[in-house]
Amino acid sequence: MPNALKAEGITVRFGGVVAVDHVSLSLEPGNILGLIGPNGAGKTTLFNAVTGFVPLESGQVLFFDQDVTVAPPYKRAQAGMGRTFQTERPFEELTVLENVLVSAFLHTPKRKTAEKLAMEMLERVELDDRYDQPAGDLNLARRRRLELAKALAIQPKVLLLDEVMAGLNPPALREMIGLVSSLCQEGLAIVMVEHIMEAIIELSDHVIVLASGQKIAEGTPKEVTSNPQVIEAYLGTD
Amino acid sequence: MIRHLIGLLILLILGLIYPWIMPGTLTVGVTILLFAGWATAWDILGGWAGQVSLGHASFVGIGAYFVAIGATEYALAPWWSIPMAVAVAALFALAWGRLTFKLHGPYFTLSTIAIAEILRLIAINEGWLTGGATGVFIDWMPTPFGIDLFERENQYYLALAFAVGVMATTIGISRSRFGYQLRAVREDENSAMAAGINPTRVKLKAFMISSALTAVGGGIYGLMLSFLEPHILFYLLLSVQIALTAIIGGRGTVWGPLVGAVLLVSAGEIFRTSFAEANLLIYGVLILLIILFLPSGIIGEFNRRLTRRLYAKRAQG
Repeated sequence: MPNALKAEGITVRFGGVVAVDHVSLSLEPGNILGLIGPNGAGKTTLFNAVTGFVPLESGQVLFFDQDVTVAPPYKRAQAGMGRTFQTERPFEELTVLENVLVSAFLHTPKRKTAEKLAMEMLERVELDDRYDQPAGDLNLARRRRLELAKALAIQPKVLLLDEVMAGLNPPALREMIGLVSSLCQEGLAIVMVEHIMEAIIELSDHVIVLASGQKIAEGTPKEVTSNPQVIEAYLGTD
Repeated sequence: MIRHLIGLLILLILGLIYPWIMPGTLTVGVTILLFAGWATAWDILGGWAGQVSLGHASFVGIGAYFVAIGATEYALAPWWSIPMAVAVAALFALAWGRLTFKLHGPYFTLSTIAIAEILRLIAINEGWLTGGATGVFIDWMPTPFGIDLFERENQYYLALAFAVGVMATTIGISRSRFGYQLRAVREDENSAMAAGINPTRVKLKAFMISSALTAVGGGIYGLMLSFLEPHILFYLLLSVQIALTAIIGGRGTVWGPLVGAVLLVSAGEIFRTSFAEANLLIYGVLILLIILFLPSGIIGEFNRRLTRRLYAKRAQG
């Protein structure tokens, strides 16, 4: 089976700072890859590099064996690379349904078909009862779910989730974990950047740990969490 | 959608009976309709796509000059010269957009001021083409079916058809995929890209449609003036007026530009006749008040409250 997503030797430089330094990752359909690391480790930058939002200094991104290294973000989205943003960005002037409609129009010009798809996605994230509310009025937890519905409405094959669990209360967190796990069972390949270890340990098949732009460890959640280097990166040494 | 179309039908009927009720104010009527059409066309780029242009006088000028030069130099009827102006305006927008859509926010807006300036200088300096600084006088027009195009009433019906046509276009866009692409690009280009939208392409398309439609109204304006001067047609003030009309009425709404046109043109008319010298002051204060208290414009604010109210009502069962 081909890799859903494969990134090799990704390097991103901002002026003199190397934000991501030769990081590689690969992911198969139906798997979840967790990406963890302390603040400023380069997780979001790696995300933006893979999805085309920041240019690469060097490296290569393959999407189902197709080279998308220089493709602009919208081409990657059209090919089936869905993403959420860490600072969730609903189209505030639009209603909840219209927000998802924008993505749902990707594969059809017909409003009826797009509306139906958008409504299905809202049902999945349990926002369907708020379809006509202005998106700017939603609270944080619901904005996170809306972000997810928007990403799902492009009908992606690979989904990159940037801290969708952050700031959720325990019941909302449980719901989000259940949702991500069901998406993965449907065959979606998922990369998730997350600080919530509970979610990472429960969901990930494979975990990559970044610190100062470099990959310092990888393996199963269990291997990674018992790795002394990882503990050091998180807690520091005396 | 249906409600918008009914509204448009009512507008059309009101527009058709206006010359019977107020035959003395036909010129005001033409001005309102032209501004309604221009502001609605401007709004496709400035409101729906969020790219504020202060250069739309360029496209008014292109339309007017094509009609004038076409008729005086080449004996071209407006139904030939206006489509030519539309094509030139759209190509111009395409070229300008390709150069400047890398700029964001106020920088794009500033760049659009230069479009009209460039065209104004061409119109002044290339006398062989444009009649130069002295201008062009339209001395001939064909008379299809015996209709005199210099007659104000006939110009009025042309302006009505123009305004209704542009508004119908916007109604169509507002519900379509393209309409949602425009809104997404306005709200957040990164989010739009994540939804598979190419922002530059969407903005170029909006700019081309907007400028092409503006040129049509420019052609009618040329007929109405029948004497064209570069200082009037490519004037920054005209660009600002078109933008203000849409902003005050409500950017990114179907009815805002029309409301803005009725309000600004009639207010300007009333203030000028009743307050003489103080008219610009009052006009300015009015604009200031609306921008301070209704920052999304009259219809924009109304729509926003309506959406909230409808949601609240439904949510409470």
